[in-house]
Amino acid sequence: MNVKVRFFARFRELLGTELIIEVAEQTTLPDLVKQITQKNIEGHQAIFDEYGHFREYVIVMRNARRVDLADAGENIVADGDDIAVFPPVAGG
Amino acid sequence: MFSERERERYKRQMMLFGDEGQERLKKAHIFIAGAGGLGSPVSLYLAVAGIGTLTIVDRDVVDQSNLNRQILHNDRDIGRKKTESAEEKLHAINPDIQIRAIDTTIEEKNASGLVGKADGIVDAMDNYPTRYLLNDIAIKKKIPLFHGAISGFYGQATTVIPGKTACLACIFPKAPPKEVFPVVGVTPGIIGMVQATEVLKYLLKSGELLTNRLFIWDGMQAHAEEICMERNPRCTACGSMSEIPENK
Repeated sequence: MNVKVRFFARFRELLGTELIIEVAEQTTLPDLVKQITQKNIEGHQAIFDEYGHFREYVIVMRNARRVDLADAGENIVADGDDIAVFPPVAGG
Repeated sequence: MFSERERERYKRQMMLFGDEGQERLKKAHIFIAGAGGLGSPVSLYLAVAGIGTLTIVDRDVVDQSNLNRQILHNDRDIGRKKTESAEEKLHAINPDIQIRAIDTTIEEKNASGLVGKADGIVDAMDNYPTRYLLNDIAIKKKIPLFHGAISGFYGQATTVIPGKTACLACIFPKAPPKEVFPVVGVTPGIIGMVQATEVLKYLLKSGELLTNRLFIWDGMQAHAEEICMERNPRCTACGSMSEIPENK
């Protein structure tokens, strides 16, 4: 099955704007994103902490709905999902 | 009531919102936190639009490296207080409004007093701790917060109506790490204009505010999108608020 993943701001520079990813059944949200970041250490470290959890300020949206990062590991992606991952920007 | 000069100055926009709308702007008081990259375009455009009173707060002096984006200031201002420079420029661009420029750091102990009886807060800061503080003050005073932030060619903006829409802490429960962010002046220009437009719409009670939506701008792609947001009932800042304040 295929899932669309979009990145914003710095994540976009590191990992690309929009990717269509083929994933296995029962893939969780963090595993989906790790499938993209596994070959990109900088991108991986920007999004995940040393335990492999989403960094606490990262915002993850699934089909336009906010994902609670505390439960992200139990969130199984489905065919056709639209996932958005972005960091808040801070400058002013 | 408007003077002849004011009528002439605002003639083209009074075609849009009439005497009544212009009167609303004239009676309004907007608090702008920061006279830097975002604060510069926001304050300039709110000044020329005729917002009756602008309070602008900043603690810094003008540095050469500010001048690629902080268009309130110029080479002659290097070493001057940003508030002094801001007051002079804003007064020159519209002598018919009141400018209160305050040279201080916005902190927990002074934030509420600084905002005073303002009708809204523009977030033109460069850090999340102060943004969360402004969010708390907006919630306490039940006045809107017009958020903007930038980095490089990227920017984001949203409008918070306390008790009614997602607040800054609902949208960003955790602050991103502090960094020296790259920036080119056009980005705060664009995001600042989104914020200033929101202020005008709020005061004019017109249009659809950027509430429960995070506007995201990518200048490199020339692409804007928005992401729907909602109130977090467990939000540490606004979760206990149940009442809905009246729009001004």
